[in-house]
Amino acid sequence: MTDAAHTDDRDALIIDCELDEPPEKVWRALTVPELLAAWLMPNDIRPQAGARFRFAGDAATGDIDCEVLAADPHRLLRLRWRSPADIRTGHDLDSEVAFELDRTAAGGTHLRVIHSGLSRAAPRAVARASDRGRRPLPMRTARGRAPITMSHAAPPRWRAAA
Amino acid sequence: MIASGVLRALADPTRRAVFERLAAREMTVSELKAGFSVSQPAISQHLAVLRAEGLVAERRQGRHIYYRAEPEGLAPLVDWIDRYRSFWPERLDRLKRVLKDMDQ
Repeated sequence: MTDAAHTDDRDALIIDCELDEPPEKVWRALTVPELLAAWLMPNDIRPQAGARFRFAGDAATGDIDCEVLAADPHRLLRLRWRSPADIRTGHDLDSEVAFELDRTAAGGTHLRVIHSGLSRAAPRAVARASDRGRRPLPMRTARGRAPITMSHAAPPRWRAAA
Repeated sequence: MIASGVLRALADPTRRAVFERLAAREMTVSELKAGFSVSQPAISQHLAVLRAEGLVAERRQGRHIYYRAEPEGLAPLVDWIDRYRSFWPERLDRLKRVLKDMDQ
């Protein structure tokens, strides 16, 4: 099953998921436009570093302009992810989405999605405020690549961009 | 997107710092200015932008105006992040179905 999204101390959302299929097959689902469109959004992706492409979003998300930052077949796909709110506010608000693929002992794939930079525009006060506010944000405390555990009690440590 | 005004307001490093200082405690413009190398009119300008986005509120007492951060003003940003918090797990569940349907 797919993990719930967690927020880490680098202001990233991290989602882990175990897939039965091998990394080669998962890579195709990430990089062949028609297959990617079937689960994410219509797009014209080319899995080469530097390639720019666009996801045709719906009314809620708007179109998302992307650039391939890294494409290491069967292992890593990293994208610059600029959604409409970001376009109007400039580069500081770009976010990044990384797909990390690891082959499991059973021949499947451990897929980790890391969406970072979501709160780059926001100060530490976002975390403090959401602590006090109507809807606390769950935060994770584990550093690095340790297995993720969700901790609601941990003090949030969102970082403001310097 | 609904969050864009709040994001725009907080995209400026000085404004972000102003907001952070006011989140710690209520201050007048002159108290606030002490921590920055920019002019008082510039600080006032930043406060005006933050107020317009609902991130800062003011309170008059005698000759003084006190400013404070309004955490509720961050709600649109929190909503924006929350949207992605549900977006990715939903899409990855779709990915699983797509993988099952793929050849090879």
